[in-house]
Amino acid sequence: MSLVEFAQLLNDSEFGTGLRESVYMFPLIEGLHLIGLAVALGLLFFVDLRLLGLFLPQVPVGQVLHPLRPWLLVGFLIIFVTGILLFVATAAKIITLPVFFYKLGFIALAGINALWFELKWGRDVGHWGNAATLPSAVRFAGVTSLTLWSLVVIAGRLIPYLSYQ
Amino acid sequence: MSVFELFKALQSSAFGRFIGSLDHLFCAVLELGHIAGMILLLASVLLTSLNLLGLGLRSVPLTEIQRSTRKLFWTGLILLAVSGLLIFIPAATSYYSNDFFWAKFILLGLALLVYFTLYRWVAARDSNKIWLAKATGGLALSLWLGVAFAGRFIGFFA
Repeated sequence: MSLVEFAQLLNDSEFGTGLRESVYMFPLIEGLHLIGLAVALGLLFFVDLRLLGLFLPQVPVGQVLHPLRPWLLVGFLIIFVTGILLFVATAAKIITLPVFFYKLGFIALAGINALWFELKWGRDVGHWGNAATLPSAVRFAGVTSLTLWSLVVIAGRLIPYLSYQ
Repeated sequence: MSVFELFKALQSSAFGRFIGSLDHLFCAVLELGHIAGMILLLASVLLTSLNLLGLGLRSVPLTEIQRSTRKLFWTGLILLAVSGLLIFIPAATSYYSNDFFWAKFILLGLALLVYFTLYRWVAARDSNKIWLAKATGGLALSLWLGVAFAGRFIGFFA
C-alpha cells in the first residue's frame, strides 16, 4: 500500500469522515492545536532567548530550562495528538501538498537540534549555565531552534491555505 | 450610523478595497503575523500567570518576570492589532453576523480590562496574598485563552 493510498484510507475511514464533517469537533481540535502551539513554542522561545542571553540573562539557564520543561512537553503532546487527528481528518488532501512534507522535515530537524542540545549540553547545564554569555554552540542551538520552529509554523499555516486552492 | 453601516463603510473604502485586491499570499502573511503576535502575547501571559499560580519559573520573582515579558507582550499585542485590522477591514461585513467574532471581542475587552487593572496591580508587587495571585493568574490566562479559541472559531463559522 502506498502512502497516498494509506492517507486515502484514513481520510475515508468512519473516524476521519466523522471528524472532518463535525461542526464543533474539528474547530475545537484546530483550536487546541493552536493553543498547544502557543504554549509549547511560546515557552520554548523563552528558553531559546535565554540561551541567546536576551531573556532573564541574570538567571541561570537551568532555572529557566527545568521548570518549563514539563509545560513544554505537555504543549508538544497536545500539538502532536491534535496534529495527528487533523491529519486523519484531511489526509487525502494534505498528503498531496509538498508544504506538508516541508513541515515534517523542519520538525525532524528541530527535533534533532533539541536532542543534540539535550545530550551534549542539557545534562550538565549547572556547569556552563550560570554565565551571562553562553558558549557559542549553545547560542547556535538557540538560533537554530528559533529559526526551525518558525519555519514549522509558517509551513503549517500554509497547509490549509494551499488545500483550498 | 449603525455598526453594520460602519463595517460596510470600512469594507467599501478605498483602503478596504485596496487591501482586498491584494494577492491572497498577502493574506497568508497577515495571518502569519497574527499567529506570531499570538505566540508572543500568550507566552508572555502564560509565563506570568504560571508564576502567579505558583507554577513555572517559581524561583524568579514575579516583578522580574513581568518586567522581562512586558516588551514581548506589547510587541505581540501591536502585531495582533495591526494584522487583525488588515484581515478584518476588507471583509468587515462578513464578520457582522458571526457570533464567535462578537464573543472574541467581548472576551478581548474583558481580558484587556483585567490586564490593565487587577493583573497589572498584582504583578507589580512580589508580596501578594496567595489567593489573590492565583485568582488573578487563573482569570487572566482563561480570558486570553478564550480570546484565542473564539478567534480560531471565527473562520469555521463564516
